Amino acid sequence: MTSVGAIAALGLVLSGCAGGSDSTSSETTDAATAEETAAETATEEAAIICEGAIAVMAPLTGGAASIGQEQLNFAKLAVEDFNAANGSAYTLIESDTQLDAGQASTQATSIVSDSSIIAVVGPAGSQEVSAVGPAFADASLAFVSASATNPDLTNGDNATFFRVIPTDAVQGPTVAEYMVNELGADNVVILQEKTDYGVGIAKSASEALTGLGVTAEVIAVPEEKKTYDDIVSKIGEDVDVVFVTFQIAAKSEQVAQSLIKAGKTAVVFGSDGSFAAEFKTPGSYTAAFAPDVKGIPAAADVAARFSEQYGEFGTFGPPVYVASQAVMQAAQLACEAGSLDRAAVLAQMPNVLISDSILGGDIAFTSDGNVDGARFYIFSIDESGSPVLVQ
Amino acid sequence: MSESDNQDSTSRGIGTDEWVAQHEARITQPTTALGKLADRWALLPLPVQWGLPLIVVLLIPFTTTSDYVLRIGVNLGLFIMLVIGLNLTVGYAGLLDLGFVAFYGFGAYFYAFVSSPQFGISWPSWISLPFVVVVTAIIGLALGTPSRRLSGDYLAIATLFFGQMFLVLAISSDAVQFPWMDEPIDITGGPNGIPNVDQISFLGFEFTSTLSYYFLLLGIVVLGIIATRRIHNSRQGLAWRSMGEDELAAQHMTVPVVRMKLLAFSVGASIAGLAGAFFASVQMGVYPSTFKLPLLIMLYAALILGGLGSVPGLLIGAVVMVVLPEILRFPDYSNYLFLVTLIIGSIVLIKSWKLVVAIFAATIAVGFVANAIFLVAGVPYLPIDEWIEGPLAPVLGTWIFIPEERLVFGNIAFVLLIVAIAWMTTRSRRVRLIAFPFVLWLTVFTWEVRLLLEPSVTRQLLIGALLVVLMAARPQGLFGKPRVEVL
Amino acid sequence: MNYFIEQLTNGLIIGGIYALIALGYTLIYGVLQFLNLAHGELYMMGSFFGFFTMVALGGPATAVVPIWLMIFLMFVVAMGGGALLGVAVERFAYRPLRKSRRLAALISALGVSLFLQSAALLLFGAKIRLYDTGMFINLRTGFNIGTARIDITEVLVVLLSVTLMIVLWIMVNRSQFGRAMRAVAVDQDAAVMNGIDVDRIVVITFALASGLAGAAGVMAGLLLFPVDQYMGLFAGLKGFTAAVLGGIGSIPGAMLGGFILGVVEAMVTGYLNPTYADFVAFVILIMVLLIRPRGLLGQPLVGKV
Repeated sequence: MTSVGAIAALGLVLSGCAGGSDSTSSETTDAATAEETAAETATEEAAIICEGAIAVMAPLTGGAASIGQEQLNFAKLAVEDFNAANGSAYTLIESDTQLDAGQASTQATSIVSDSSIIAVVGPAGSQEVSAVGPAFADASLAFVSASATNPDLTNGDNATFFRVIPTDAVQGPTVAEYMVNELGADNVVILQEKTDYGVGIAKSASEALTGLGVTAEVIAVPEEKKTYDDIVSKIGEDVDVVFVTFQIAAKSEQVAQSLIKAGKTAVVFGSDGSFAAEFKTPGSYTAAFAPDVKGIPAAADVAARFSEQYGEFGTFGPPVYVASQAVMQAAQLACEAGSLDRAAVLAQMPNVLISDSILGGDIAFTSDGNVDGARFYIFSIDESGSPVLVQ
Repeated sequence: MSESDNQDSTSRGIGTDEWVAQHEARITQPTTALGKLADRWALLPLPVQWGLPLIVVLLIPFTTTSDYVLRIGVNLGLFIMLVIGLNLTVGYAGLLDLGFVAFYGFGAYFYAFVSSPQFGISWPSWISLPFVVVVTAIIGLALGTPSRRLSGDYLAIATLFFGQMFLVLAISSDAVQFPWMDEPIDITGGPNGIPNVDQISFLGFEFTSTLSYYFLLLGIVVLGIIATRRIHNSRQGLAWRSMGEDELAAQHMTVPVVRMKLLAFSVGASIAGLAGAFFASVQMGVYPSTFKLPLLIMLYAALILGGLGSVPGLLIGAVVMVVLPEILRFPDYSNYLFLVTLIIGSIVLIKSWKLVVAIFAATIAVGFVANAIFLVAGVPYLPIDEWIEGPLAPVLGTWIFIPEERLVFGNIAFVLLIVAIAWMTTRSRRVRLIAFPFVLWLTVFTWEVRLLLEPSVTRQLLIGALLVVLMAARPQGLFGKPRVEVL
Repeated sequence: MNYFIEQLTNGLIIGGIYALIALGYTLIYGVLQFLNLAHGELYMMGSFFGFFTMVALGGPATAVVPIWLMIFLMFVVAMGGGALLGVAVERFAYRPLRKSRRLAALISALGVSLFLQSAALLLFGAKIRLYDTGMFINLRTGFNIGTARIDITEVLVVLLSVTLMIVLWIMVNRSQFGRAMRAVAVDQDAAVMNGIDVDRIVVITFALASGLAGAAGVMAGLLLFPVDQYMGLFAGLKGFTAAVLGGIGSIPGAMLGGFILGVVEAMVTGYLNPTYADFVAFVILIMVLLIRPRGLLGQPLVGKV
């Protein structure tokens, strides 16, 4: 009996689908032509409403949901703020990829087919970027990632790819130098988590350390691992620094606590994935690609409003705010120049300049899509568990 | 008594009354609306039964300019290939292979090995595809051989672990150190996978557009269905089916069980392997995250939902498991779908038209009463245009009240709803009918206030609920025969 | 040698948690010949319940009750909540399918699994929680075996898991309804004919198994496992592996399987490569199954014709 309902509903929906997609496309064609006529008369009229949809690709469910939901919420906040400040009417469309390249690839076709979408924020993972790069390039759709740090992504395979965070190639040397020069470490262990992020940053750090004369032992750790006591047992008594490459800060905290339990003196140094409230063992260090968002005056307001609405946040959210700002700024420039479509937005991306961004400093893109003048910052965790900027 | 089913009542045997004579007809005659529908459909001539859906599928690419729809079609095609292979192993041969997705992965990776910059090899498709098929068939054989001694649950467990091992291998093999080599080599690309995989090309035609893959997979699926039906009645098919029903009995009927098991594993594996190669070509890359348990779960769900061993069943099951989650991603569509299902579901459950009208009226009343209570209690609410737009807005907007604190109220409502539904199933029909309007209102309330806020999570929730409800309502699947498991 | 003992103790401690989960699988399989693939989700819920209890009682840093009481209450709530949830799942998802083919129940279990994960995501939010045990227990208190450091949370976990296992063992083998459980496990229809209320036995079995899973969840949290909605997948697979290794349907087998699995993982991590820990565990499992298809301590499979 219930199955009849399901089947009938399915039939209705399939017919609704065919009707629905028609109505969406006709809506947007109407909207597009309305947009153009409105834009043409823009020079005469004072206020045109610039609007368009921005797709947010993130792991909204699945093992990385904590990252994805934070990213989505920052994107929502960014759209709200930008619309309020500029009188525009941009909207958000969420696209769950579960950090899976296959799903990202399918979602890319959905996004490309939806003509109301003028730009994309995301995807979060480097392998996802590889999977969607060609499709978005074909569609002249600009996409800005806030967390894909593999340096190879901007070598030309992905023509419309941009990112607002510096790559592993920058982070590795930064953390290695700090470890060797400031902390005086000569015995370093790198915990390489088997994710595309972890493998990338571990390689970068390892090479940088070798360049400075320190050979780091690399221990490969599977992503599903839940307890690190056995790994900590492998870490010798005279190891100075354990460099952890987790995306989930809670794991870094686990390692730090486990070291304390075992009575070892090694200090945990996290890559930028560890910069979050969960990682609070005093004496630890972590990298970040922005000075503490809560500490920057421009960002404090955004941070406070985010915390009020959505709670605590870590390292993956704020760059999404900036990425969303970037695409909306490009869209706004395109709109003011007369036409708001994908190709126009893409063309305006090089002109994007976000001054005093919440990541500290100005954000603009280089010719290959990387962010200009990006650097990493080092924080140490003080007695109360809060990060303190040290470099 | 069974002799009387095809005879009219005048020729029934002595001592058999009419009610008993009609027993056979009664238990085979479908009683539900769905069953009757299926029966009428089955009366259509075979070419029409298959031709009609085929025509619909052929026409779809011409009704839409959306690449997304075509991509869903491609995904569906790949999925159906996998389910056909699984059907062979599980549905026919009765081998519970929980590691089936590994063959899909092997196929994809082996194709990538010989068609990408990973090792610098780039074989033409007419070599690489058969290569993939043969290799995965051999791997299937390799899995089948030690599994000879295992049966039932233990076979399932062993295959499950085989699947997990594949995943571990794929993710960890980016720095494999062979003793005779100085440096570790990158075999599978690790978590980064293998990008830049070549696309297949036959006779000079390169498959680069989604449309081309759509038709390619359509062709393959049609071939697969024809092959399955041929196998169904062939010697091999009968041997497999008897093995699936009862291995011991089959053995005693001279079915070479071991050989058939190996054959089932190999053929199923090679179908999955071929699908894997196509997948790598469509995606232009191979990434390990695809080949995890959730995909296996979807495959099995499709197979069981449709009814094991039934081809139309697995097709419908595949459509549900692939298309439905995609539809549910869109808040507008899922809103319509939800409300329509609710209405139709209520009608089906309540059965009597008068009662249906009464209950809907009562539900509307409950809604207004609830609004009044909220207003009197001074609960701040959202104006209509902040949470809904489109044709449904005036209808729903006045009837449902969305508090500002969506999360808190929504969560409470959600928990209450689950408890209420559970409670209702334990009560008598009268109590259920009385409670129905309240629960109906609560459902819409929860949906609009909370569930619509996070479509990505809600769609997983609904799929999980769908699986549970469908299995409870119809455990044999759509086209399966009801079975009682004798342990 | 010291290092060996270190890894051994690491393995045994984690093995205790695996064993508890495996016990749940084995109990349900033994009585119903049904693999409850949603079992891991009950472990996940238990972990969340324990976390929220802790927060309700003042959170990790500022507890309003004595620490031992807080921990005790965390376990009580998690086990009770888990048991309740397990019983509800059985009643609404599995009972209608008791006479149907096994695959249907498996699919239903997978549906329950998806549903619980998503419901937890909706209700609790995606943020990852940590028990922050270090804030209410001084992790340096403990003792040494050689260079292996056993701190007090680990002692607690081991003691509790062993106690629970012993209690379960006694219940199943010495009590009235334990006998009834075993009767239902052997032959459900015969049990009915002997006046045993099968439904009640099933409910008690699920309650016990789910309660154990809930306890395992709190233990994992205390050992600083990250608490998120998908932790059940991992635990489910491990517990299931352990149960099969030991012989599914056998309680001592589940315990043995859990400890062996924990130790194997620790040893492979410690002496070889952590990424291959799972792989080696699976290989061992398959080898065991090939030699003893019923698991280490499992009952011989008598196929009914």
